[in-house]
Amino acid sequence: MDIIPQIIANSIIAGSVYTLIAVSFNLIYGATKFFNITHGVMTAIGAYAVFFFGKQMGLSVWVAVLIGVLIAGMIGWLLDRFIYRPLREKKASQLALLVASLGAFTVLQALIAIIFTSRFQTLTHGVGVQKTFEIAGGIITQTQVLIVIAALVVTAGLMFFLKCTRFGKAVRAVSDDNEVSKIIGINTDRIIGIIFFIGSAIAGLAGILVGFDTAIEPTMGLVLLLKGVIAAIVGGIGSIYGGAIGALLLGFVENFGIIKIASEWKDAIAFGLLILFLIFRPRGIVRT
Amino acid sequence: MEYLLHLAILFSIYAILGLSLNLIVGYTGLLSVTHAAFYGIGAYATALLLIKTDIGFLMSGLIGIILAAIIAFLIGMVLSKFDGDYYALGSMGFCIIAFSVFLNWQDLTRGPLGLPGIPKPEIFGIEFSTSALFVILAAVILIAIYFACRCIANSSFGRVLKTIREDEQAIQVFGYSTLYFKLTVFVISAMMAAVAGSLFAAYITYIDPSTFTILESVFVLAIVILGGLANLRGSLLGALLLIMLPEILRFVGFPGEIAGQMRELTYGAMLIALMLWRPQGLIGEYKL
Amino acid sequence: MSILETKKLTKRFDGVVAINGLSIGIEAETITGIVGPNGSGKTTLINVLSGMLPFENGSVRVNNAENLRVIRPRNIPLYGITRTFQNIRLFEQMTVLDNIMVVLTKRNVFSALFERHTAYRLKQAEDVLRAVNLWEKRNDLAINLSYGQRKLLEIARALAMQSDIFLLDEPFAGLFPEMVKTVSGIIKDLKDHRKTVVLIEHNMNLIRELCDHVIVMDGGVLLSQGVPERVLAEKKVIEAYLGK
Repeated sequence: MDIIPQIIANSIIAGSVYTLIAVSFNLIYGATKFFNITHGVMTAIGAYAVFFFGKQMGLSVWVAVLIGVLIAGMIGWLLDRFIYRPLREKKASQLALLVASLGAFTVLQALIAIIFTSRFQTLTHGVGVQKTFEIAGGIITQTQVLIVIAALVVTAGLMFFLKCTRFGKAVRAVSDDNEVSKIIGINTDRIIGIIFFIGSAIAGLAGILVGFDTAIEPTMGLVLLLKGVIAAIVGGIGSIYGGAIGALLLGFVENFGIIKIASEWKDAIAFGLLILFLIFRPRGIVRT
Repeated sequence: MEYLLHLAILFSIYAILGLSLNLIVGYTGLLSVTHAAFYGIGAYATALLLIKTDIGFLMSGLIGIILAAIIAFLIGMVLSKFDGDYYALGSMGFCIIAFSVFLNWQDLTRGPLGLPGIPKPEIFGIEFSTSALFVILAAVILIAIYFACRCIANSSFGRVLKTIREDEQAIQVFGYSTLYFKLTVFVISAMMAAVAGSLFAAYITYIDPSTFTILESVFVLAIVILGGLANLRGSLLGALLLIMLPEILRFVGFPGEIAGQMRELTYGAMLIALMLWRPQGLIGEYKL
Repeated sequence: MSILETKKLTKRFDGVVAINGLSIGIEAETITGIVGPNGSGKTTLINVLSGMLPFENGSVRVNNAENLRVIRPRNIPLYGITRTFQNIRLFEQMTVLDNIMVVLTKRNVFSALFERHTAYRLKQAEDVLRAVNLWEKRNDLAINLSYGQRKLLEIARALAMQSDIFLLDEPFAGLFPEMVKTVSGIIKDLKDHRKTVVLIEHNMNLIRELCDHVIVMDGGVLLSQGVPERVLAEKKVIEAYLGK
């Protein structure tokens, strides 16, 4: 049996999940220049919102997903409004922002565990009800197709949005130079707030898709975040398409890596890749 | 009484971790979250040597410390090239790799099953089998570490560490190879964390990987930041307060599972509040 | 023979040429002023000479070191160079005294670990701090000083290095007349002690008062050099400053 097509399929799926996180992380990093650890827990927030509204309240899947994405975005906006924006106003250092986001991460993760317990949960009702497709010898489920499509749409959408809309131009101005943008009359706080909403909503979507693909638990955010951040750095921090390229590379390296080594070492492989890049090409593939 | 002694021993262990991490975070201004890894290396090395050989506690502990130093040297070679966010992320990476080694190298560590039956330490014929005796051992080691840290902080070396925190590029122009200073303080700090690990393993007599996750690093970071950056007495204060905190929460009366989550939630909320209103911690001398 | 010399030095930023084939020589035991309009490459030159920016082409000869193509920041004290910064770079959350002490102590990691304050070094620190009237402020944090005091502390820190060559990037900018006097006194004193001073300055009266030699840069190239009286009267120099 030839396993290569399946590994390629798995790589692309993993790469797509990381893409969603990496591009949204880069969007926020670009505008704020700090490592927003809380970004990880947005995945769990999205997923648990769907778990609550879809599975416990019995709303239809699509409505639940929509609510989940909006809640993740909303919480991202609130965090910026009540934690990061005051810190920016106090001219706090990047490290202070990082520590605050680490704190917010811990709080939100603990809250989810208190409300929903720390047990594994599934978003789907049964096992094996998903439609599967076979492409060139690799098997891929319906959810996984959606993951790949979502990654493509989000990346292309963000790139279009930043390049071609007026709002996108403002975002780029804020990312280039926050102070100057303020002087030329851009409401930077409002723009950054919206960026947090969009970025967090995308992370929430990633968490929801992962939840449908496998399972959810309160701590799911950390590993997803770290993979996303690794992808972002490998690709080029702060760059949208850099993030997507990095994510794809990470997906392939991880999945081809575990042909020879046991799959428990996936995380270690990912960080090995990061460390190689940090040593030899710290500015990433697209050199930001 | 027995319980108070237990708390005193835990305080000593965490105070050692806090003091040593303060050298990196408070004095050098580098946000390291890799402390749990060296804590774990010390603990596992001591535990394995105590169980499988009869070289005694001192020797096992010493080997653990040397092992931590070697690993810290290799990791530090990579990390010391960075500062700020990248340093934090790189250190996070190593913490996760170390955790996956504790968890997945089952031939050696027995993975999630952990290592039970670690003998109590015996030094020069005295067996530290009761809490009353152990607390003396822990206190003596804590005092030794405290004075070692004070010597380092008050030396010319300590002053150079602070300038690295303030402006690394500027101090280079005055003839310092900052990389070696960062590397040295990282190795020293890791060795101290390994001492705490040895004490922990010999005291609890059972260790498993769950103690050495990144959350443990965050906990130690919370000790350092709460007590006060670049103030050694601050780390003692931080350890004292955060060791007492679960007792207070217990007093409030949360059920078992939630108590643990409430603890995490409190640490996280504390970090946010500190960054917003008191970034130097209670008695710190440096604002992050 | 000059103590510091650049040969066809070139520095680019993303394709923009900041210094273009610059060849200059600085005579030992003199005060040299570097002048030129904003963006002419003065600060870039100092940053290149102190190793804070790499350069692409050309070479630098300094004191005893021949044809350097790469300058590492931590090596510049070995070449006898020390510098100050245009945008003040102190160790903000440290005391005034520590800002000075740190440049007096041992550079080697292991020696530094076992070194304490010594009376001798404290005396040295006291001398330079008294020279800029900051000894009384020695236990204040650098971040709490006034702008002028911060500027003076930077100069004191450079003095404490006891180098041969001092690169001072706008040492007078924003100072009150009283402080200007202090700093110009220090600079003259350095020359009397057979040190070499290179300073960037926009105030032509100060240049005339202090400098033995002046180098005019414009657009990354050498426009003119020589005795201040003559050079500052040249038509092309005046045009470069005021525009045509």
